[in-house]
Amino acid sequence: MLDLLRSFSWQELRQHPWRYAAALICIALGVALAFSVQLINASALAEFSSALQAVQGQPDTSVRNANRAMNLDEAVFENIAGQEGVALASPILELSTYALSASGKKVAVRVVGVDALSVAQISPALLPRSKEGAERFAIFAPRQAFLNGAAMQANGDAPLRIVNGSRIEILQIAGRIAAPGAPTIVMDLAAMQDAFGLVGQLSRIDLRLNPGASDSRLNLPAGLALAQPDDANERTDQLSRAYRVNMTVLSFVALFTGAFLVYSVLTLAVAKRGQQLALLGVLGLTARQRLQLVLIEATVLGLVGAALGIALGAALAALGLRALGGDLGGGYFLGAVPALQWSWAAALIYGALGWLAAVVGAWWPARAAEALPLAQTLKGLGAVHSVNTKPWLALFLIALGAVLAMAPPVFGMPIAAYFAVGLLLVGGMGLLPFGVSLLYDQLAPRVAAHALPMLAVERARRMREVAVVAVSGVVAALSLGVALTVMVSSFRVSVSSWLDTMLPAPLYARLTSSTQTAQGLYFPSDMLQRLGNLPDVERAEGLRLRNLSVGTALPDVQLIARPITLRDAAKVLPLVGGIYASPTPDAIPLFVSEALVQLHGAVPGEIYDQKWLLAGVLTAQSATELIASKNPPVFYIAGVWRDYVRQFGSVVIDNTRYVELSGDERINDIAIWPRSESNLKDLQSQVRQLFSQDAALANLVEFASSAEIRSISLKMFDRSFAVTYWLQAVAIAIGLFGIATSFSAQVLARRKEFGLLAHLGLTREQILRVVALEGAAWTAIGAIAGCLLGLLVSLVLIHVVNPQSFRWTMDMSIPWLRLASLAAAVMIAGTVTAWLAGRAAASRDAVLAVKEDW
Amino acid sequence: MSAIVVIEGLEKRYGNVAVFANVSLEVSAGEFVAIVGDSGVGKSTLLNCMAGLDHWDAGSLHVQAADLGSMRDEQLALWRRKSVGFVFQAFHVLPHLDVAQNIGLPLLLLGQKPVQIKPRVDAMLQAVGLEGLSARLPQQLSGGQLQRVAIARALVHAPALVLADEPTGNLDPSTAEKVMDALIAQTKSSGAALVLVTHSQTAAARADRVLLLTAHGIAATTHA
Repeated sequence: MLDLLRSFSWQELRQHPWRYAAALICIALGVALAFSVQLINASALAEFSSALQAVQGQPDTSVRNANRAMNLDEAVFENIAGQEGVALASPILELSTYALSASGKKVAVRVVGVDALSVAQISPALLPRSKEGAERFAIFAPRQAFLNGAAMQANGDAPLRIVNGSRIEILQIAGRIAAPGAPTIVMDLAAMQDAFGLVGQLSRIDLRLNPGASDSRLNLPAGLALAQPDDANERTDQLSRAYRVNMTVLSFVALFTGAFLVYSVLTLAVAKRGQQLALLGVLGLTARQRLQLVLIEATVLGLVGAALGIALGAALAALGLRALGGDLGGGYFLGAVPALQWSWAAALIYGALGWLAAVVGAWWPARAAEALPLAQTLKGLGAVHSVNTKPWLALFLIALGAVLAMAPPVFGMPIAAYFAVGLLLVGGMGLLPFGVSLLYDQLAPRVAAHALPMLAVERARRMREVAVVAVSGVVAALSLGVALTVMVSSFRVSVSSWLDTMLPAPLYARLTSSTQTAQGLYFPSDMLQRLGNLPDVERAEGLRLRNLSVGTALPDVQLIARPITLRDAAKVLPLVGGIYASPTPDAIPLFVSEALVQLHGAVPGEIYDQKWLLAGVLTAQSATELIASKNPPVFYIAGVWRDYVRQFGSVVIDNTRYVELSGDERINDIAIWPRSESNLKDLQSQVRQLFSQDAALANLVEFASSAEIRSISLKMFDRSFAVTYWLQAVAIAIGLFGIATSFSAQVLARRKEFGLLAHLGLTREQILRVVALEGAAWTAIGAIAGCLLGLLVSLVLIHVVNPQSFRWTMDMSIPWLRLASLAAAVMIAGTVTAWLAGRAAASRDAVLAVKEDW
Repeated sequence: MSAIVVIEGLEKRYGNVAVFANVSLEVSAGEFVAIVGDSGVGKSTLLNCMAGLDHWDAGSLHVQAADLGSMRDEQLALWRRKSVGFVFQAFHVLPHLDVAQNIGLPLLLLGQKPVQIKPRVDAMLQAVGLEGLSARLPQQLSGGQLQRVAIARALVHAPALVLADEPTGNLDPSTAEKVMDALIAQTKSSGAALVLVTHSQTAAARADRVLLLTAHGIAATTHA
């Protein structure tokens, strides 16, 4: 077999290096894209995990408020620390906010208050180390801060200016901490509570248990819960999982197209070498060995492609980490650029996928080589081209795809839907010969009176398997292209209309876009009233954003408190469905995003009595009395809205009710309706002054008009999806390359046929016209099939993959003109490709051509 | 009888190597001429020159009074379409057209309508003994049947000149005889001139004239 590979296969490769190179590149590209996405995400998660571990230390368990976003009362510390089984308790207070550099630039920082005596044993990376020459007990002094490397780099040696609500706290740098990762500042616990007005509050208590002790025996006071260190990693993983999986699936598009190219290249190689294979058969090569020969050729192709792909993927990952960060621009992880984490296991898995794609692509040509009729092939007559198989298998695959498309998500991901897409594509292509038959059987009588179209149509009709091989790459590429185009277009139209509803005010003011740092940076409660007194302001509305912890496994839900009533809800929120009346007289209406329905069982029109919601809406101060009262507040789902920002859920509540329940009057965003004659620049400086007299702090207020936000949002949208257009272009180029390869090979194989046509009196131009017409006939069926399959796949992407991945819906919007242009471009390109491929063969000597043996 | 083919002093070279030289001959309408000779002497090349598919280096070649040497490729193609029928050793039928479509192709190329083509194709099918096989694809036919399809196609448009290059070379003696019967009968009935290149003594023996081609021209002529 090795000798055969060296002689028989190597010669074929030497004759057509570019054809094989294209298949190889596709495999390599598919493996590289998928592997790089995997490496980047693994590196980012590893970085996040190690930074988190350094900050959190290695406690056996931690005690937190049941609403993770809320602090707990320091008074419980003695109770917890004194419990049986607790060896050490370390109180921690955390605050995410901004530091202002000397130039006024804001840097997101995490301020951590620790007990220096206990933190060393659980979180040594947070242990403060005083500067040389500093006082020995500087850690206990007020307003003394210890910075990690990133914070030192961002701030320098100047005193720290930390934003605390609408004030700036000045801290002195007393030393360093060893914690890696994003900027982190450590203070003494009491000093931090005092400086930031958080006296009596803790974020968590880290516990080291005695050997053999279990956290299940801890007796926690009401409103507190245990949190495991791994939970944060799991939540981080959840945050970006859908994005990662979708990026990986997109990168598999290249691998999928690569498999089709291998199929196309090897099918033609088998067809072209039919007589040689038949001769080898006569000389004693068994049918099984012929199958093995083709599969080994594909294996070599796949292994070389996979090896190249792994190397390219690692390089791409290193480049991607540096250029786009650990989340590929998805905005999920903030902080330092992670180092590349190489994984042999991942390399082997993705390499194996590349090999598998090549072998799957080679399976059918290998079977064709196995089933070659020796005598007939040697005589040059080849196999009779007829459809021996029934369409049932293809129809079954499509039906199975439809069933899988209706399956629920697996591990929160649309795994079944992706399989459905694969089955629809394979089943659809399996139906292609029957589609060709259906179309051209109708067309054949209509062109019977015209020699050139008749020749083209009859060949497409009677050689339908060959036609299918030639256009399968185009069908695969075009169907994916159409599906992505329809999906992206539908999403864009929906986002655009969503922005129209979400941005009713002409001007918006905000301090931070991060809900984490919103904890330490917000407008004071009287800001709206003072704004309303400005002569340039007609009206202003405030928005309060808070994270609600839902438990340990899922990321936080965002609470949005804003003015909303049952009457105007449809105007201010993009509702999906109607508005529901309260099932009980006193229930408080909530408008929840689609994610909350999917992930947290919210049912429109029904009471929603989740404990995390109640604990989250109520503050520590108001919670005890309200929860203990006989009539705790009751919520119901008054409507469901479409939220394209928060994929893990959001709850909108009327701000008056929210303030009543929580006592929290802080504001994060302000919508402003200026008077028509007002000067916007003047208005902005007035708003800044209202916020703070300190210029540095006042400059933290950011303004954007609704038109700007809309334009930036849509630009970001287009940039995010630009990669899909590139992938489409690459896939279609590969598909056209498949057509070119196929036509070149077939035109060469048919040179005797063209010689005969020349004998019958066809001019060279007429022969080229026949080839071009064949190209048109074949790519027409490819374009029709690709568009139909693409529309089918887009249904799955829009109605299943998106809601299951990101938990939001969108309205289907088909860009007919763009699809028609895409199909027309593919048809024209296919026709021109076929014509170009035909030129070479048609220029050959007709006399020599007919003299060659068949 | 009027001469269909008139060749005078034809010479063909490949570089410095002469294939044949000083070939002169005339073929009349309805006449059957066989050309024999050693392998490599240029029999098929001479046939291709008569079809306007190959060029020569000296001499002249007229078919139906048309000077092929002065015609451009485009004109030659159109002339060939109308005036010449071909039969090859290796059958050469289009694999994706059925028997009737293969036979009717020359008429279609000449612009005839399907209603005009069908009766003519049916008549040819009957003439070559392939009735009932019109819808078959070439892959479903035997070698003898394929060659009869090729003969029917060569004659369907009633060309003035039929050129046959070893038409029985791939056939067993019995089938070869039947194919020759069909070829000769159909050519005679249409009044076309038939020029046959062959190694087969049996096939050549049926010709009106047998010409022995050598590198120096027609060396001998035998009349039936």
